Amino acid sequence: MCLAVPAKVLAISEDGLSAEVEFGTVRRTISLQLLPDVTLGDYVLVHTGFAIATVDPEEARLTLELLAQMGDLDPIPEEELQRPLRPQQEKGGAG
Amino acid sequence: MRFIDEFRDPALARRLLGEIEAMTADWPAERPITLMEFCGGHTHAIMQHGIRQLLPPTVRLLSGPGCPVCVTSQADIDRAIALVHVPKAILTTFGDMVRVPGTTHSLQEAAAEGLDVRIVYSPLDAVQLAAEQPEREVVFLGVGFETTAPGIAASIQAAMARGLRNYSVFSMHKYTPPAMRAILDAGEVRLDGIIGPGHVTAIIGYEAWSFLPKEYGVPVVVAGFEPLDILLTIHHLVAQVVKGEARVENTYRRAVSAEGNRAALAVMDAVFEVADADWRGLGILPRSGMAIRADYADYDAARRFRIPDVPSREPPGCRCGDVLRGVIEPPQCPLFARVCTPDHPRGPCMVSDEGACSAYYLYGGFAA
Ligand code: SF4
Repeated sequence: MCLAVPAKVLAISEDGLSAEVEFGTVRRTISLQLLPDVTLGDYVLVHTGFAIATVDPEEARLTLELLAQMGDLDPIPEEELQRPLRPQQEKGGAG
Repeated sequence: MRFIDEFRDPALARRLLGEIEAMTADWPAERPITLMEFCGGHTHAIMQHGIRQLLPPTVRLLSGPGCPVCVTSQADIDRAIALVHVPKAILTTFGDMVRVPGTTHSLQEAAAEGLDVRIVYSPLDAVQLAAEQPEREVVFLGVGFETTAPGIAASIQAAMARGLRNYSVFSMHKYTPPAMRAILDAGEVRLDGIIGPGHVTAIIGYEAWSFLPKEYGVPVVVAGFEPLDILLTIHHLVAQVVKGEARVENTYRRAVSAEGNRAALAVMDAVFEVADADWRGLGILPRSGMAIRADYADYDAARRFRIPDVPSREPPGCRCGDVLRGVIEPPQCPLFARVCTPDHPRGPCMVSDEGACSAYYLYGGFAA
């Protein structure tokens, strides 16, 4: 229920109370009542039809930069790095 | 998609896992570092990406109470379902609520008998419905934490501004910090750190969690919902634990600030006041619920309609309450996957998109 998805602001209504946003390829009108200071082109987190937070691209870049510096001391083999994240699951075995 | 794909890079995830393993190389595996993810959204992401199995045996994750539908008490569920009998009612709510088993039946079953129950994407859709159907009583079943409550408060203000007299909300909203406190006070599970709920914290701000390190000595790191967000958070928590430190950190900086979303908090506080609330698994927690203020009494379904007192009983055998406190993991419930499945849920933890039982079932190799 606390799911919130990033969407790009494409247009803002004249009264500033709602916006047209795009999630991937889906478009929707959302309310800006809980996040009045939005500008065109911003990314916002949308939850139950309301923008609730702006996504800051600079902070996102800094987090990714931090991530890229992790584990530099202990190189991991390339094929290991490229393996998909999710491990094989066994079927069944309930309880 | 932007801000999603970048945070799923498997190569970076492996590096983080390597660092987590290196940091805990000397940690005794028989006493693993135990971290609770408060939020059910995190439980689903963790299970979906198989993060539990990827972690070294020195780090263990436990699910917490962060599923609003799951923590709604059976009595509140039954009262909510009973509202469907209000004359001329259209009952509106988010999808999860419709399939939750009440003591005698669910809303889905009520709908099959011809009662009017509708799933909406936004509470504003319910307000619109009230405007279009002035002869009907549109009741919205409000379930959620601080992430959701501001939007529902806004819907009440919108209905008021439009002069609608046929829209009301049954508020079962709850504040998250009292639940975290209750789990630590109970002391049933030993927690070394807490993965803070990202979207709740986008609203309340990460300062709101500072009582956890201060009063309980437990570190909190606020996390986003992509695999790298969660792994980076586990990394930061483990780093604090191995050094014996405890403070609030925030790895979801792109969306979460110290003070949160002031505008959203203002709308929430204008409409709701603090009240005691009954939580499944935790009991009555003082000052943990949101009741509609007297100024908005006309929009409060609990005041407007007489709700018959139905004798409530939790589903027999369901251990959802223990799951919510982190005392057991879903597969330890004897009904899990045998009797209780997403198609035939016994308890709310198997229904909700944020329920731990449903996450374990869907991603734990049980689903066909
Ligand atoms: S598996 Fe089903 S019955 Fe068991 S605790 Fe979860 S919801 Fe309740």
